[in-house]
Amino acid sequence: MTGLPRSVADALHSVTHSQRALAYLQIDEELKLIGAGGNLENYGLGAVQLGGQAFDQAVFLDGLLPLPETPFLLPSVELAGGRAADLHFYQHDDSVWVVLLDVTAERDQARRIQQRAYEMTLLQEKEALLNRRLEATNAALLATQHELESSRAALVRVHERLPRELAEAAGYIRSILPAPMSQPFAIDWRFVPSTELGGDAFGYNWVDADHFALYLLDVCGHGVGPSLLSIAVLHLLQAASLRDVDFRDPSLVLKALNERYQMKTDHDLFFTLWYGVYHPATRRLDYGCAGHPPALLMEAGTAGTQSVQLLKAKGSPIGLKRGAAYARETVIVPGDSRLYLFSDGAYEVEGPDGSVMSFDDLVHVLKHPGMDGQSDLDLLFQHLVRMRGANALEDDFSIVRFMF
Amino acid sequence: MTATQSVLQKKICMLGGFSVGKTSLVKRFVASVFSEAYLTTVGVKIDKKTVDLGDRTVNLILWDVAGEDDVSTLRMSYLRGSAGYVLVADWTRPSTLEVALSLRGRVEAELGALPFVLLLNKSDLQAQWAIDSAKMDELRQTGWSVRPSSARTGEGVEDAFTELAARVTAPQ
Repeated sequence: MTGLPRSVADALHSVTHSQRALAYLQIDEELKLIGAGGNLENYGLGAVQLGGQAFDQAVFLDGLLPLPETPFLLPSVELAGGRAADLHFYQHDDSVWVVLLDVTAERDQARRIQQRAYEMTLLQEKEALLNRRLEATNAALLATQHELESSRAALVRVHERLPRELAEAAGYIRSILPAPMSQPFAIDWRFVPSTELGGDAFGYNWVDADHFALYLLDVCGHGVGPSLLSIAVLHLLQAASLRDVDFRDPSLVLKALNERYQMKTDHDLFFTLWYGVYHPATRRLDYGCAGHPPALLMEAGTAGTQSVQLLKAKGSPIGLKRGAAYARETVIVPGDSRLYLFSDGAYEVEGPDGSVMSFDDLVHVLKHPGMDGQSDLDLLFQHLVRMRGANALEDDFSIVRFMF
Repeated sequence: MTATQSVLQKKICMLGGFSVGKTSLVKRFVASVFSEAYLTTVGVKIDKKTVDLGDRTVNLILWDVAGEDDVSTLRMSYLRGSAGYVLVADWTRPSTLEVALSLRGRVEAELGALPFVLLLNKSDLQAQWAIDSAKMDELRQTGWSVRPSSARTGEGVEDAFTELAARVTAPQ
């Protein structure tokens, strides 16, 4: 306070004492408290005792003494009582003076300002973090969207190609079906594959000079897989190329096919088959059936009164069970008879109202051919389409008519 | 007075970026309480906690130093006489680990190698963790004591201070 009159210096000291809660501690070289005064209670130091270790009574002193420099300042130190003080350290002769000046108000003001700044910074950090996460999520979504678009484009291409390929496959099946014939007996057929392509196929051919084979098969499922199997089986039957099998015996043919086409080794596919062998000289028809709808033998007669035989035989579908046995049945075909072979798609049709056509309905339709010379096969197909209430059927429509 | 003279007394500083939870960790350790309200520290706040290590008792004088930010840097005078320190980072804010690593480098340059533990605080906010555990493993492999902690639940708090108390009072 150089230059200030004593009275002014004393007044300043008085102001500092009252407004800054001035207090002091005096510590000797042995770190003992040898002096204390001022407003010590303000800092929770009212109970200090002279003569004791200074840092035991004022823990903030621990490690600070001896002084590294003088004067030495520790600003804004919050002590046990919650008050904040600037700690001024002075070396004077052989002792250290610690002067405490209350800065609680300044500390609180600084805290309010700092608090707002930190809260703002934390918000900005959170916003930045959220933005980064949103950007990452957005990028992942965009990548997923691109993948989906690519997948969709690929699916569209497949979707556009599939009907074309199915139609080509259906065309191929049609091309390997035998042509209708008129001698020595009349044979006609209708084959209308479904839009998804089923597994229907049929054929007829001479096994030898005296025996005529006739057959129709239906591979389970729809699509190219079942069609490929039906083509393979059709080729095999047409060529009669099962080793050591007498193709004049239906039970042996079915048994051999069952051993060859087991669904466990053939992509889970199985099929039904009706197979018969006709001997014109004796009008004898031997036949077997592997889970297929029975053939329908209709004798000559007035429409609606004809006698009908269902040509059934015991046997499970081909491929379900290795070692299965197949019965051989025999019938003598009356003169002017008609024999119909067909798949379940020729009668298992569901109408829009849920009604289902039965096997008896099929028999009824075939018993009542049209009066204007229209083929009974066409009439049947038209009947099914009308019942279905749509332009296309759900399953392949296959039917073969033999007139003996 | 005679009894207290036989008790060891060590100064420990709490260091780290702002709002990482230094004050909350001290409150949890000293008074077993936690408050959701965030109150920034200005300057330094001093607390005391006695730790029983079994064969010895230690008075830890805890200097809770104001967090460092872009404007305020650590005042090294607060660290004078420290026996060790607790570095604190916020597990949900990667930048606070960088601050802790920077502080550790400056403290070591100023005071030499002192025992310390690194706490990854706010371990209870698992959904918001933003510091890779591989980074923590990397630091552990250099010999650092790295611990998860939560002032809210108390996870790892007592253990961290007890470990540091043992290390700063271990016979040299």
